[in-house]
Order: sequence, then C-alpha cells, then structure tokens
Amino acid sequence: MGNPMLNAEPARAPVPPRLKGSLASRLWRHRKEYLAISPFYILFAIFGLFPIAFSMYLSFQKWDGIGRMSYNGVNNYRFMLTDPEFWRAVGNTLLIWIYSTVPMLFLALAVAFLLNSSFVRFRTFYRIGYFMPNVTSLVAVAIVFGTIFSNNYGLLNYVLNLMGLNSIEWLNKTWGIQLAVSVMVIWRWAGYNAIIYLAGLQSIPSVLYEAAKIDGASTVQSFFRITIPNLRPIILFTLITSTIGGMQIFTEPQVLAGNDGGVSGGGLTIVLYLYREAFIHNYFGYGAAVGWGMFVLIAIFSIVNGLFVQGGPTRGQGVK
Amino acid sequence: MVKTRMVGLCMLILAMIAAGCGSTSPTEKTKTLTLWYWNRSLDDGLIKSVEQKFPGIRINAQKIGGDFKSKLKTTLAAGSAGPDIVAFNDWVSELFVSSDRFYDLYDLGAKEIEPDFLDWKWNFGVTPEGTMIALPIDTGPTALFYRADLFREAGLPSDPEDVHKQLGTWESYLDAGKKLQDHFAGKVKMLDNVNNVYTQANAQSDRIYFSKEDEFIGDTPASSMKNAWNLAVKAAQLKLSGNANAFTSEWSAAMNNSSIASFVGAVWMKEVLEEAAPDTSGKWRVARAPGGDGNNGGSFLAIMKTSKYPQEAFKVIRYLQNPDNQIQSYKNLNLFPSAAKALDDPIMKEKEPFFGNQATGEIFSESARNVKPAYFGGKYSNVNGIVGRELTSVALQGKNPDKAWKDAISRIKKELLR
Repeated sequence: MGNPMLNAEPARAPVPPRLKGSLASRLWRHRKEYLAISPFYILFAIFGLFPIAFSMYLSFQKWDGIGRMSYNGVNNYRFMLTDPEFWRAVGNTLLIWIYSTVPMLFLALAVAFLLNSSFVRFRTFYRIGYFMPNVTSLVAVAIVFGTIFSNNYGLLNYVLNLMGLNSIEWLNKTWGIQLAVSVMVIWRWAGYNAIIYLAGLQSIPSVLYEAAKIDGASTVQSFFRITIPNLRPIILFTLITSTIGGMQIFTEPQVLAGNDGGVSGGGLTIVLYLYREAFIHNYFGYGAAVGWGMFVLIAIFSIVNGLFVQGGPTRGQGVK
Repeated sequence: MVKTRMVGLCMLILAMIAAGCGSTSPTEKTKTLTLWYWNRSLDDGLIKSVEQKFPGIRINAQKIGGDFKSKLKTTLAAGSAGPDIVAFNDWVSELFVSSDRFYDLYDLGAKEIEPDFLDWKWNFGVTPEGTMIALPIDTGPTALFYRADLFREAGLPSDPEDVHKQLGTWESYLDAGKKLQDHFAGKVKMLDNVNNVYTQANAQSDRIYFSKEDEFIGDTPASSMKNAWNLAVKAAQLKLSGNANAFTSEWSAAMNNSSIASFVGAVWMKEVLEEAAPDTSGKWRVARAPGGDGNNGGSFLAIMKTSKYPQEAFKVIRYLQNPDNQIQSYKNLNLFPSAAKALDDPIMKEKEPFFGNQATGEIFSESARNVKPAYFGGKYSNVNGIVGRELTSVALQGKNPDKAWKDAISRIKKELLR
C-alpha cells in the first residue's frame, strides 16, 4: 500500500495503556461531554438513587423520624405481611385500580378513535377539553367531587332525589368511596390517555383503512381488526403507566375520605396506608417497608399486564 | 479593551447586587430570632410588637403552611439549625421522646410564671421526668353548643343554666336527644357524630390511655375509655348522630340547615360554627358540657436547643403569653387564654349576638378552670385512631359493638408492641 510509517496513527493523545488508569483518562478525554450530561446524573444520585437506597436501609430500622434509629430486623416486613389493614389496603387499591383503569382506557380509546375520525368538527376544541382535567389541581378536584358525592347534601343525591330516588350515602359505603375515587381517576386521566392513543392512531397508515373499506369492512370491524392490533404497543404503554399510577393513588382518597380512607377504610389505598403509618403514627421504618412491598406489587402487576397484552398470537385479533 | 471593561462592569454590578441582597447583618446589639408558627396560632400584630418591646431583638416570623408537624420533624431529623422558637399543637406529647432537642424552660426561669397559668394546661408541656419543653399558648375548654330554639320546641330546657342542670350527665343528654328526635320525627339530629361523643367524653377525664409510666390503662376501670366508648355506642344505637364530621362541607351544610341540634365542642369551634352556619345566627347557646368540663386542643411554644439565644427567646415567649397579651389574642383571634388571670377579664362577659347575646366567655372560662390534668403519652394518636375506626364501623356499618371493642383492644395491644 504505501510506506507503513506513513500509515502510522496521526499525532494525537497517546494510546491509553490497558491499565487501571485507562478508564480515568478516557473519562478525562471526554470530560466536556460527561460534564454536559452530569446534571441529570448528579440530581438523580442525590434525589433518586440515595433515597431508594436509604429507604431500603430504613425498612430494617425502627425510627420515629426524630430520635435514634434502632435496628429492627425483618419485623417491619413481618408486621406488614400479617397486618389485616395492609392487605385490605392492597385489596382496596386493586379494586380501585380495576374500577378506574379498565373503563378509563376503553373510554380513552373510544374518544381517540372519534377524535381521529373525519366526521368530527372542532377537533382541537375537543382535544383541549378532554385534556384539561389532567392539568387541574388534584386537591381542588377532590374537594369538588367531595361535595358531589356528599352524603346528605351532595349534588348526586340531589339529582337522585329529583328523579324520585332515595339518597345514597356514598361516602359512608365502602363501594361508594371506591366509586367516587375511581370516577375522579377516570375523569382525570381519560383525556391524557386519549391524546396518547390519538398519536398512535395517527401513525397507522390510512391505506389499511382504505383497503378495508374497499373490501366492505364496517367501522366496528376496522376498529377491532386494524386499529387495535396496530395500537398494541401503545396500549401496553398506557396500561403499564396506568398500573404504576393506579397503584399509587393517594390524594383522591385522602381528601375525599380522610387519612383512614373513610368508613371501614374503603378508600385506604397502599400509599394512604403508608402515609398514615409513617407520617401520622411516626413509624418511618415501617413506611419504608411498605414502600418496598408496594414496589414488589407494582412489579408483579406490570409483568402480568405485559403478558396479558402481548399474550398469545390470537390476542387482540378481535371479534369474530 | 471594551470586552474587559464590560466584564468589569458586570462584576461590579453583581457585587453590588450581592451586597444589597443580604439582610441587615446583626450588629453587636440586634439578635435575630426565628419563629415558626401556623396561620392564626399567634396574633401577627402581637409578634410585630415584640421588636418594639425588646429593641435588641429582631423576630423573623415564618408562617408554615401545610403539614406543620411533618416540617418540624424533618427539621429535627436533619439535626441542623432550625427555628429558635417553634409552636406546637396538641400533639406536644408526641415530642416528649425528643425532649432533649428543646430547652428545659424551667432552666430558663419558667418557674416564676408557673402560677400565672392554668395548672392542667401547664402540665401538658411537662414531660413525666419533669422537663418542661413547651409553654402554653391557648386552650380548648369544651362546652355544649346547642340550638335553643330547637330545644325549646322539643320540650327541652333552653336556658343554659337549666340545660346544665337537667342535661348534666351524658346519659341524660342522650335521653334528651331521643326525646328531641322523636319530636322532630327524624328531621333533626341531636348531635353531629358519634366519634365526637367518644372524644369529648375522654377529654373530660384525667386517665385515658396511658399512665405516666406509659403503661396502657385503657382496658382498666380507672380509665375513661370504656365509658366513653359505651356512651358513643349508645348514641349510635339511639341513632342520635347526624353522621357529619367536623371541618367538612357536610357538617357546615347540616348546621346551616338546622339538621343538627347540638354538639359538644371546644371554644375554638365557635368560629368554625359562625362561619359554617351564618343563617342560624342568634339561635345558638352554650351550656356546660354534659359529663363535666374538658379540654380539646390547644397549642404551645417551645425553644429549640439549636437556638443561640435561649434567654432572649424565653423573654419573647414569656412576653407573648403574658395575661394581657393573651386577652388581646382572644379579642383578635379567639385564642382562648391559658393564663388564669385572663379568665377573669371583663371581655369574658361580652355578649355575642351569634349566641343570642349570651356571654359564652363565662361558660368557657368556668369550664377552663375545672379541667383535670391528663397525660396523653406519645402514642395517643395511634390508639385514638384505632378506636375511632372501630367506632365508625359500629356507627355507620352496624358492626357489633362488643366485637368492635375486642378488636380495638387487641389491635391496640399489637400496636404498642411495634
């Protein structure tokens, strides 16, 4: 080819020897780039990684938040697994999650489909309208819903009475509180998920729909045979985010029903239980343990969700 | 050349801004004390007057919103400097375990002013070991709030003295409730909620959940807990409750719509009631509570050990809580005094139109004089919460009261082992 000497490496920083210092000198060489991306990692280390590690450590301690920490072994976890209130909180959380997530996602899908169709006018107006609940203050909304579902003087009971029906004591019944919380969650998140589905819908090539129409498919058929299968990854995404969010519902039951989740704890979700035990009853170590219990629960459910949506080859093929 | 000048100019401007940003640096003479309190726990005007009264002291008063107790605990947990003076609410006994984080006010001269204060209130701020961590601010003596017009209509006594005579025990109060409800055919309920009966009955006792040695005494006959429970259960069984919890819009609506005829509450409920039920103004009266006088609520002031000026801080809190200033605070903010002398002040005899021109101050001051000193203990709110939840099940879901009691006790025993 040519003089091998001329093909020697061009003059630049010496090739780092394969010693301990190689990583350091490589880091130093690209220090500007590392510095540029470091803010996130520094913040994450302080406010993300450290709290996670500390809460793992804390879950094995007994601590009232001010005094000295004392080693508590696995007592926190043992108490958690044998506490009927914890399991009731898990049950409540799951029920509220089912009541809210399932209708919410279907509603979001339907809304997105309608927003995407050609016969709807003023689409931007609807999009803004559906998304608005998501930007409202959670506490303010909970207070308003509290007056709607109020036992004796609520709006809902007023409407029922107008129709000649008896009032229902919504917030005094376990299922009533769960219903109220679920309605709040649906109200808040349907629009958000609808916008996500809308983005997904718009990425489906229209030739598929045109071909289906030529073949004589009805709207419903094209919905189940074209839309849903193509939206599968997005549905999975919204399902997982709804699961993670739904398992952590806290503000709605707390404002609606108080720190005990209302009568017989119908609204006592896991996070509300954690908050009560840690911040009101001063068991911070136990709170950390509950946090980790919640992590395990969410992980299990996310995996189950994933399997359910991605299921077998015939899943999502729709109505026959 | 121009570039260096620009840089120099910018540096100069920055330096001037930085210099101007700092607050007036404390000189030899001025000492700055930081005060943490929540809205309406202290009179803002009174706090400002501190600087006039003590020329060498500056007060940095910070109103802490949101969860005050959590913020205080976070500061204590951090271990670093916090405020010099901090307000406590009635959860003061929860901080007894951290009594070493606060100055013992006895060491700063509190013994001198002890006779000025109601003894039972003073004792709340003293740990069982005898360290005083908190000075009283206000108290919450309880009384019976009732609708004189509804009582009269139902054939019950309506004059406060008569009400006290005839409805002086809880049993007679509950029986009168049945009479009232029968008269109104269920349209009016005697009381707001069953948990309040439980709370107020306990508030009248000096032995509730724990002995001074922190032993659980709730299931012993010496404690008021079982009796309070029985009264609350009776109220539930007689269906006397309007099922409205205080501080909810339900409660306000029920009061304003005359659906509830009475409730036992602390003096600070006056303001809550006046705001909630303006349409019923003039129809309410106050009588001595059935079962006796009690206290519910009330706050305190403490000095943190991290304070650099404990002597000055004590001077300030002593000033803030002297009898005259307490009367001022009562006038402006309805903070019922904890100073014994203030109870005799003529302001207590002022007539209040909302209460049909009754001087409620007379009832509440008499109540305040008779409260028995009680020991709450650090785990009071845990235990109270457990019982409250079981009581709600009995009241609203028909749970068997005996089973609920047994469940509550066993849950409490488990709780105390944590």
